Amino acid sequence: MGGIWLSVLLLVPVGAGAAYWLARRRQQNLALLRRRLVAVTQSVRQTGDNIAHDLRTPLTRLRADVEAALRQEDGKVHRAALERVLDEIQGMQNIINALLALGQAEAGGMQVKKKTVDLTGLLMEMIELYAPSAEERQLTLKGRIEPNLTIEADRQLLARILSNLLDNELKYVPAGGLIMLSAAAKGDKLEILVEDNGPGIPVDMRDKIFERFARLDPSRTVSSGAGLGLSLVRAFARVLQGDARVAESSLGGAAFIVTLSTSAADVSRPAP
Amino acid sequence: MMKLLIIEDDVAAAASLKRGLEESGYAVELAHDGECGLQQARDGDHDLWVIDVMLPKRDGLALLKVLRDEGRRAPALILSALGKVDDRVNGLRAGGDDYVVKPYAFVELLARIEALLRRARSLSGGPETVLQLADLKMDLLGRAVTRAGQEIDLQPREFDLLEYLMRHAGQVVTRTMLLENVWEYFFDPQTNVVDVHISRLRQKIDKSFSPPLLHTVRGTGYILRMEP
Repeated sequence: MGGIWLSVLLLVPVGAGAAYWLARRRQQNLALLRRRLVAVTQSVRQTGDNIAHDLRTPLTRLRADVEAALRQEDGKVHRAALERVLDEIQGMQNIINALLALGQAEAGGMQVKKKTVDLTGLLMEMIELYAPSAEERQLTLKGRIEPNLTIEADRQLLARILSNLLDNELKYVPAGGLIMLSAAAKGDKLEILVEDNGPGIPVDMRDKIFERFARLDPSRTVSSGAGLGLSLVRAFARVLQGDARVAESSLGGAAFIVTLSTSAADVSRPAP
Repeated sequence: MMKLLIIEDDVAAAASLKRGLEESGYAVELAHDGECGLQQARDGDHDLWVIDVMLPKRDGLALLKVLRDEGRRAPALILSALGKVDDRVNGLRAGGDDYVVKPYAFVELLARIEALLRRARSLSGGPETVLQLADLKMDLLGRAVTRAGQEIDLQPREFDLLEYLMRHAGQVVTRTMLLENVWEYFFDPQTNVVDVHISRLRQKIDKSFSPPLLHTVRGTGYILRMEP
């Protein structure tokens, strides 16, 4: 009998402790969830603000241009204005297309066409495609790619990842710089590196630059792009069950690293 | 005169497309829903159909599938506002010959229509092994290029690029068309990659010869032809 009482006496505080612990745990989880929700809401709001900003700027220019042209009678002036209008529209279209692709990739609505891709070949092709443009900007684009790398993935998506990374390099690495594209197998993973000897990315910006509309220059006046390229890189890498990050390169600048599993598209996501 | 059918429910967009194509020398018929479109495609003897995907009464891809199942072979250009990677594949699978995402540039659409019409015409002949424009000659089997009898050394990609331009000589070719057909990339990089390849090709085939054959069409793309 005494033993039973002893057990009860011991169990009651243990049970109470467990209940307290569980409640506290639940509270902590709730708090975490709340913080995440707040962060998501903030990011959505920030994105919305940025979209509004990024579309309002060209709209303002468009409006001013059209109004100025309408005050004139000269056909040549009209023509020049219309050509600028077309350029602005193209820029806005690019932003909208990139946002749509991002939304689709992040919501899991992108169908992945799984096929064996000759990754070594694709990387060489990308170098061949971009090398002349790099040279024109007095940049050297080189490759250090392991032979016979293959991956189960979507060729177009892989090419878009690489193309966005190279677009980014050509935009931001100063003339005279070196860009190195390399790829190697690491266990059951593949690592693709795009690195340079440019100014690099400050540590506190390394995660931020993958966010929509992020630019190192906060004034956002540089008309070099909408700041969506790296967001696309990360979103597409995740669609392929991989990820993208940035680190310091042994070349002295930034190293953009895309890690993919060799059977990247094995788990293809169903369309919603 | 070539006869085109545009099946597009956006009346204003269809009208401006019709006007543009008529100015370019085509006879154009319009249909604003899937049922009318199907009927007009069956009744008319069109050289090409331009079909919007989202149509009232019957969607564009289903409509095209019916036409193809009935054995009708006119080239079809699909218009879509969606623009996902797989939409393009679905469009081509339904029997489309090319695919353009809205909002499109009129010149892009026109260039693709002309490419499709030309392809349809050349399908009747046998495969060509030699392409020629003025004194520029391409031997596709021997993979050799000469201009005014002088051999021109081209990189493999430059050869493919020139071959595509030669096959579409006299016709505007856009950057997107080149990326799709020469490199097989179905997206547009932000960098002017195609322009730089074109300027290298131009150095080789035009620089020491006259007249220049490879011309830039401002805001659109390129054209290979004798006249400036």
